[in-house]
Amino acid sequence: MKHSVHNAVVVFFGAALLVGCRRDPALIEARIDALFVLDLPPGAPLVSVPADAPMTQAAVELGKALFFDPRLSRNGTISCASCHFPDHAFSDTMAFSRGIEGQLGMRNAPTLANVAYHPYFFRDGGVPDLERQVIAPILDPVEMDHDLMLAAAAVNTDPAYRALSQLVYGRAIDPFVLTRAIATYERTLISGWSRYDRFVYRGELGALTAQEQNGMALFNSEELNCTGCHNGFDLSDHSLQNIGQYLEYADPGRERITVDPADNGKFKVPTLRNIALTAPYMHDGAMSSLSQVIDHFASGGLAHPNRSAEMSSFAITAEEKADLIAFLNSLTDEQSIDQVR
Amino acid sequence: MRMNFSRSIFLLTLASGLLAMPGCKPDPVEPDPPPTPPVSTTGTLRIQVQPTWDGAPFALNTVYHNVSNYRVKVEMLKFYLGNMRLIAGTDTVLVKDVALFDAANGPLMVQGSVEQGTWTGFIAGLGVPMALNDADPIVYSPGHPLSLSNGTYWSWATAYRFVMFDGRFDTDPAGTLAPAQLMSIHTGLNAMYREFELPLANGLTITAGNTTTLTLEMAVDAFFYSPTDTIDLAVDNQSHGDNAPLATMLTNNVVHSLSVQ
Repeated sequence: MKHSVHNAVVVFFGAALLVGCRRDPALIEARIDALFVLDLPPGAPLVSVPADAPMTQAAVELGKALFFDPRLSRNGTISCASCHFPDHAFSDTMAFSRGIEGQLGMRNAPTLANVAYHPYFFRDGGVPDLERQVIAPILDPVEMDHDLMLAAAAVNTDPAYRALSQLVYGRAIDPFVLTRAIATYERTLISGWSRYDRFVYRGELGALTAQEQNGMALFNSEELNCTGCHNGFDLSDHSLQNIGQYLEYADPGRERITVDPADNGKFKVPTLRNIALTAPYMHDGAMSSLSQVIDHFASGGLAHPNRSAEMSSFAITAEEKADLIAFLNSLTDEQSIDQVR
Repeated sequence: MRMNFSRSIFLLTLASGLLAMPGCKPDPVEPDPPPTPPVSTTGTLRIQVQPTWDGAPFALNTVYHNVSNYRVKVEMLKFYLGNMRLIAGTDTVLVKDVALFDAANGPLMVQGSVEQGTWTGFIAGLGVPMALNDADPIVYSPGHPLSLSNGTYWSWATAYRFVMFDGRFDTDPAGTLAPAQLMSIHTGLNAMYREFELPLANGLTITAGNTTTLTLEMAVDAFFYSPTDTIDLAVDNQSHGDNAPLATMLTNNVVHSLSVQ
């Protein structure tokens, strides 16, 4: 009996040594299939993750690789990053993004910062989750104009992608994997690293200048009522509002989804995080500067029948406006919101 | 050891005796009757949609004259029927949850298993029922009516197009060239889902084990008019989720175009 135990121990250790020397790819992969450690800034809510889209290291890495891969477009020229530039908080610098063969999209590409906290997606809120959001630009004839099966097949030729896909999802890359992996990567794009955050959530009173603090006081004031919609950690309540930008909207906004005229001209309230990096502004990129945006809100907007009750005109001096803009500029993250480096 | 051996012999004898006792029973044990195969009470209902134009069989890419006397060539006709069921009094049976009909793919047919009996009405919805329309389409493989590969999904709305009606037209009824102006009317979104009922005047009898065909006539010429709405292509000819009035008219007209043959 003792011999048996002794032999078993010897065999076990021998096998363990052999395994250790083999450099088995499966074992190498197993080491990176850990949960992704999401770096949440102070004040940031926890991120909910769907059961079928685990936020593992491999899932996030695969998602990032796919996000930047132009093979997801019909002619291999357009990736997600073609319209969502990392240097601009994953937004575009053009009013309407250029998609495949130079075609123009119909709305301004928004920042992806903090999409993990959004209850729905697109300017009209027509898509209920990040996974299904991924489908739209790939299929859209003016964006990537591809078939999901073909797009998946195009990237499935990459052995590194295939290995990651097997590791996370236990299957080759297919439309399911595309949507889950890209959505998982986007969920990690957390913004909360600005001087504003240091001031508010870390109590660093010197993080904001006196001018910026004056701007913040104006921002929080009842008279300006910015916080009527731009509140919470994401500086947006993500509601759908008509801000009286036009009397007749070329883009029906939320009405396109609900077919309800009461929703005409309503668009999702955007986050103000990294606002200095995400010009031009509004759903159609019609305003190129923060000064124009403030002028619009100070006017109270045009008298559209669906104009939000939160809209009301206010007086603001040139100095106050400069303070407010200084505050808005303090909302820029001091580090990249991309946590996969 | 010897005692143990004797005891074993005793027990063996006793066991043999016990085993032999049932063998002496005069009544033979009746074998279980072979299982009766379940009697099928269902038949198959095949639902066939027959597109027509002015009562004659309709064909894609053929020039017809519509109610406005425009020359019209339909190049694509796809539509969903959902929640198809038969009714008889208060009884209802689901035939098929959803089917995609594409005029480019030959006969428009779908079938399902139905309990035998005589049914007096057919109910369906033009479109994809809400529960299916709102679900994640990524789970459907190619070949399924809800697969993304069918090209019927509006990804911006995470919803299916219910009717896709594309082609070209010419307002000159005597024109000799191929119609050139585009028409493209797509309907969709839950608000456009329309349930309709068609009475089966003589009853539709389903018998067990047999296939019965229910043919629905779809008068494509009637897509342009109904008792309440006429679509004038010269005025309005495009709808892709951005023209609810036109989509609504087409939806109503398509429902009115259906009848039991």
